[in-house]
Amino acid sequence: MSMILEIKDLSKYFIAENEKLLVLDNINMTVNKGEILCILGPSGCGKSTLLNQIAGFDKPDIGYIKLNKTIISKPELNRIMVFQDLNQLFPWKNVLHNVVFPLKANKIGNSKLERLKKAEKYLSMVKLEDFHNYYPHQLSGGMKQRAAIARALAINPEILLMDEPFGSLDIQIRTSLQKMVIDIWQKTNITVIFVTHDIQEAITLSHRIVVMDKNPGRIKNIINNTLPRPRNSIDSVFSEMYKKVYNLLEE
Amino acid sequence: MRKKTSIKNIGIILTILFIGLFIISSCNNKDTNETKGYKISIAEQYGLAYAPLQIMKENKIMEKNLPDVEVNWEQLGNTAAIREAMLADKLDVGFMAIPPFLIGWDKGMEWKMASGLSQSPIGLVTYKEDIKTIKDFTKNDRIALPQPGSVQHILLSMACEREFSDAKTLDDLLVTMKHPDGMNALLGRKDITAHFTSPPYIFKELEQDGMHEILSGSEAMGRDFTFIVGVTTNKFHDDNPVVYDAFIKSLHDAIEFIHNNPEESAEILADQYKLPKEEVLEYITWEGMEYNSNIEGIYEFTDFMVRNGYISKKFDDIDDIIWEDVEYEK
Amino acid sequence: MKNNLLGKRYLVRIFWILILGIIWESIALSGRFSPLIFPSVQNVIESLFKSIISGEIIGETLYSLNLICKSLFIGIIIAMVLSILSVRSKVFEGLVETLIAIAHPLPGIALLPLIILWLGTGSSAIVFIIVHSVVWPMVLNLSTGFKSIPNIYKQLGDNYELGLFEIIRHILIPASFPYFLAGVKIGWARAWRALISAEMVFGAAGGIGGLGWFIFKKRVFMDTAGIYSGLIVIVLIGILVEDMLFNKLEKATVKKWGMSI
Repeated sequence: MSMILEIKDLSKYFIAENEKLLVLDNINMTVNKGEILCILGPSGCGKSTLLNQIAGFDKPDIGYIKLNKTIISKPELNRIMVFQDLNQLFPWKNVLHNVVFPLKANKIGNSKLERLKKAEKYLSMVKLEDFHNYYPHQLSGGMKQRAAIARALAINPEILLMDEPFGSLDIQIRTSLQKMVIDIWQKTNITVIFVTHDIQEAITLSHRIVVMDKNPGRIKNIINNTLPRPRNSIDSVFSEMYKKVYNLLEE
Repeated sequence: MRKKTSIKNIGIILTILFIGLFIISSCNNKDTNETKGYKISIAEQYGLAYAPLQIMKENKIMEKNLPDVEVNWEQLGNTAAIREAMLADKLDVGFMAIPPFLIGWDKGMEWKMASGLSQSPIGLVTYKEDIKTIKDFTKNDRIALPQPGSVQHILLSMACEREFSDAKTLDDLLVTMKHPDGMNALLGRKDITAHFTSPPYIFKELEQDGMHEILSGSEAMGRDFTFIVGVTTNKFHDDNPVVYDAFIKSLHDAIEFIHNNPEESAEILADQYKLPKEEVLEYITWEGMEYNSNIEGIYEFTDFMVRNGYISKKFDDIDDIIWEDVEYEK
Repeated sequence: MKNNLLGKRYLVRIFWILILGIIWESIALSGRFSPLIFPSVQNVIESLFKSIISGEIIGETLYSLNLICKSLFIGIIIAMVLSILSVRSKVFEGLVETLIAIAHPLPGIALLPLIILWLGTGSSAIVFIIVHSVVWPMVLNLSTGFKSIPNIYKQLGDNYELGLFEIIRHILIPASFPYFLAGVKIGWARAWRALISAEMVFGAAGGIGGLGWFIFKKRVFMDTAGIYSGLIVIVLIGILVEDMLFNKLEKATVKKWGMSI
């Protein structure tokens, strides 16, 4: 397993009302190529802030993040973020063109036809093949997030960044989308960094779980999750893992 | 079921409409019936040509001639508004130039002229040195005057008919403006190159350097004429003979008063117009400014307006357009 | 189905117009009011047809539409520049807000005496009045529109490495389009009113001066039926622009996108 991303001695402050607030305190971790890494923590632990640093939307005050040995300084196509916000699709473009547009803007693919084929492929992967012509407002929340994932995958990024993408969805839909993420990972073997506050989600998806603490945000522990797939939350091994992670969070 | 309710709704709405109309029309009835006492509504206008009206109002001449009368002075913006108010029976008496009166009469207004009020030095003023007569206007010039069909417009058209044998020659150059706006535009010396106007604006304009008059009202018409006449509705004249007579007498008294007491009149008017007394005195005694109940120019205006299609017909008899005992020049 | 509904709406409208027309005609025929106040429907329609055949009302309508299109275009451009500046720079924001506070409550017609002094009385004065009545509500709408663009679009733009052109063409413009459209609708309504009232003030006696001027001319010559025929044309244009232009445009854009504000 080769390392793709390295975070070294990273600290981040926010300035609020003339006070310097330490949000991320000395983060050190690595991400392996082709793994699903979950960052788990309570709200306010800085896990989304950390993901924003990885995406390049924001810069660390101390330390650095390297992708394939190169320091990250800005957002790039090799790391694409899928947000929690259900409005991340462009409402004025239909599903197909939401996926095609970034390809076209970056001249990915040699022809219009090639781009359309590519978009269709990833829309099928997220089971939206029958919804190409729908506009976002005609889709359910789960379908919107699936379209956003398809748009991200079509770019063929090295890392897929997911910032609580299913946080606003109800439990059944969330479960089915988790299955879909695993499915996609099995098909593409893409590296995923997945931020969540849901222990069950982290255990279901991840190879490793980075458990974070708040005030200030720091890494408590990194847990290897070797449960056999498919994972089922009513299995006893799953419950044990759940207890272990839960206790770690509660400490 | 649904159809039934919608028909019912329509029935309700129609009923409401008809009741509304009934109320409106019956209101109107009441309005006209209640005039039992002596009452008169007069449109009051400002300007030197209307000076006898202010004298009549300030000296309460009408009240002296008919002690029980209730005089209602209405302020209205322009001739069209006065005409409309008289049509709607909100006004008994209005003052205006002969052409707007004739237009109304031609369209079926039931009204006649009751008296002359004033003659006035009106004229066309320009700042352009090379414009000496109306023949010197080019298509880039603009002439401001009150409105199409106004006495200023008719006079200019008369001059055009004489000069170019076509009354509408300069129509494309005309811009409609109220007197004060027209004066400002002319003094701005921009696209408005000439202004056809009356006192006091014409006096103010001619005081400025380089402003000169190229056409006076009497030159345009070829004779002197009455600038403003008093007009009353048939209804008022027929239903209120006592008030009508008192009104005519009062108007003549007011005109007489100005003739006999120019100083005192100037004092009263100075107050009304917010101008220095000396200035007012100068204006009301200006050559060509005359207060006079005799009506002049009816035939010339009528013939010209019929000839050029501004009105559709000439009166059969002068009595169709003036009340009995009105002095006019044949 | 949709067409059916639309057809039905028009039928209902025509039905009511007929009813009102009948009531109108019966009042006119009752003779209670002088025809100078209340001309019969027949007279009005006759006068409308006469002015259509003579080309008079068509010329005036084209004149008005030409002026309003020109002024709306200028107004939109100015509003865009001002609102982009005010969104981009704090200094400009203050200036533009002050300008709106001062100018927005001023009816264009109230500026008339000044406008005559500055610009004279030609069509440029009318254009000025219309632009004035359009620009301020447009600026308000457009800057609200620009400010309401969610931050997530900026992040998406960065993440997908979009160029400035793509961001403007594919994100900023469509994202603020609902506000733009609302602004244009308000602008149109205000411009149309301003135009008619300005035309009533200006206008060449012999030449063409627009629909407002047409009505004014009919008024000074006491042609009441002519006044009503001018009003009918104004109403028809209003309905056409609302129903045909704006509704169609809304259906093709903000309604289709689910972005109505």
